[in-house]
Amino acid sequence: MDREFKKIVLDNSDVIVQKWIDEIDTLKGFNYSDSVSEELLESTNREFVNIIFSSIKNEGDTKQLKEFSEKLINLGWKVSYITDGLQVFRRVTIDFILQQSDQIDTSYISELLHSVDEWVEPLIRQLVNEFSGNWENILSLQRVALQELSAPLIPVMDNITIMPLVGTIDTERAKLIMENLLEGVTQHNSEVVLIDITGVPVVDTMVAHHIIQAAEAVGLVGATCILVGIRPEIAQTIVNLGIDLGKFPTKSSLRKGFIKALGLTDRKIIRTEENNATIEQMIESLGGE
Amino acid sequence: MRIPILKLHDYLLISIQTEIDDNTAIQFQEDLLDKIHQTGSTGVVIDLTSVEIIDSFIAKVLGDVVTMSDLMGAKVVLTGIQPAVAVTLIDLGVHLKDVPTALNLEQGLVKLHQELGD
Amino acid sequence: MDLKSCVDINQEWDIVKARQLGRAKARGIGFGTVDQARLATAVSELARNLYLYADRGKICFEITDELDRKGLCVISLDVGPGIENISRVMEDGYSTSGGLGAGLPGVKRLVDQFDIHSEEEQGTEIRAIKWLR
Repeated sequence: MDREFKKIVLDNSDVIVQKWIDEIDTLKGFNYSDSVSEELLESTNREFVNIIFSSIKNEGDTKQLKEFSEKLINLGWKVSYITDGLQVFRRVTIDFILQQSDQIDTSYISELLHSVDEWVEPLIRQLVNEFSGNWENILSLQRVALQELSAPLIPVMDNITIMPLVGTIDTERAKLIMENLLEGVTQHNSEVVLIDITGVPVVDTMVAHHIIQAAEAVGLVGATCILVGIRPEIAQTIVNLGIDLGKFPTKSSLRKGFIKALGLTDRKIIRTEENNATIEQMIESLGGE
Repeated sequence: MRIPILKLHDYLLISIQTEIDDNTAIQFQEDLLDKIHQTGSTGVVIDLTSVEIIDSFIAKVLGDVVTMSDLMGAKVVLTGIQPAVAVTLIDLGVHLKDVPTALNLEQGLVKLHQELGD
Repeated sequence: MDLKSCVDINQEWDIVKARQLGRAKARGIGFGTVDQARLATAVSELARNLYLYADRGKICFEITDELDRKGLCVISLDVGPGIENISRVMEDGYSTSGGLGAGLPGVKRLVDQFDIHSEEEQGTEIRAIKWLR
């Protein structure tokens, strides 16, 4: 039976393709943005239906299919274009074959449904896999990128390291922050670490708790932690929530924190003589004019 | 098994190199206090660089050693606590508050020197 | 592959043996150094509890493989007196042995999943799972 159905479909491919294109046209607007030109839409539809037919003929040509799905993915088309297209093909084909047949009983219909499903299913499977594989790929790339960004450690000078935090902190990220912080402290031999929370939008009890834990852990490995970048609203929430940050030093800005860190490591910033001289010379030369 | 305790002028130096079981920890506590008593040392550095795990029991022994030595007039600094160990201690809820720490043996000695003010 | 392995806890040195095996298992399935330390410490706490309160018992390791995640399960088994009041022992700072009272609540914080079943005079089973990140 399968052969007969195949023959009917292949012999009447022109009619089926036309019906398919007509139907798929009514679904326009759901599956792709308006920016897709008519020509592109039409050529893609043609290519799609050709792939369906060639797949029925040689029972699956994966290379062509892969190229087609890659193209769709690159153009940013939705996966529903594919599932809709194949559903429509199923419907149109079954309708057409039923119209062509004389005697129809339940076993005939069952075999027909079975055959058409067998043509379409591998296509759906492979195309959906290509799409989801692509999504998973993007997701894992983004995760890696995010992890790299999430807890950077900058050794600004001997014994002083800065960790600027930007964005929301959840438990998972807090753990990463703590581990990076401690590894960095021992690796760079930092006596003082500045955690800059200027870029952290919300400091609730959970975030504060994690920051306190990180600071305590830094204390255990033998370094000092200074929390900097505390904005007024954050100071308010911290006090209103009853969080005790009294155990380690805090500063409003990174600049103040850095000066404190220099103090803790017995250093301070001194303007060098030569610079003073040149500035004075400059002022003098300006006055002379 | 006993952990060796070295004397350097007024200080005692201990580097814990092996996996410590409970008995070794208790034995160490006794040995250290005896040694402080014998030598009249004013400072102690316990280096934990090679210690890969500190559970709540060993943490308690270490914390106690610090307090006990303090009572006997010797300041203790713990040095070289590994990041992984620090994280685990915090997770466990062991804070070792008021225990002086330093990154390594060298800085531990500097810290002792500063704290003892000589 | 050897999915499960156990250490009997009868004497103090067995605690060290258990945590060394725990660390090796954790390293074997790819945990980072910090999580290795977390697992080894959790094993140490559980093993010490067995030694202190149940006199003897065993610590088993199981690799937990689920559809979307993999982890190491540490199981602590004993036929000791059981725990009378579980919510009490899960409180921070509660101790009957003069320890820090950080044992069980600490273990819970060290791992991702923690289940405890205990029946009086029957014994206690604790399962602690840490998932691979």
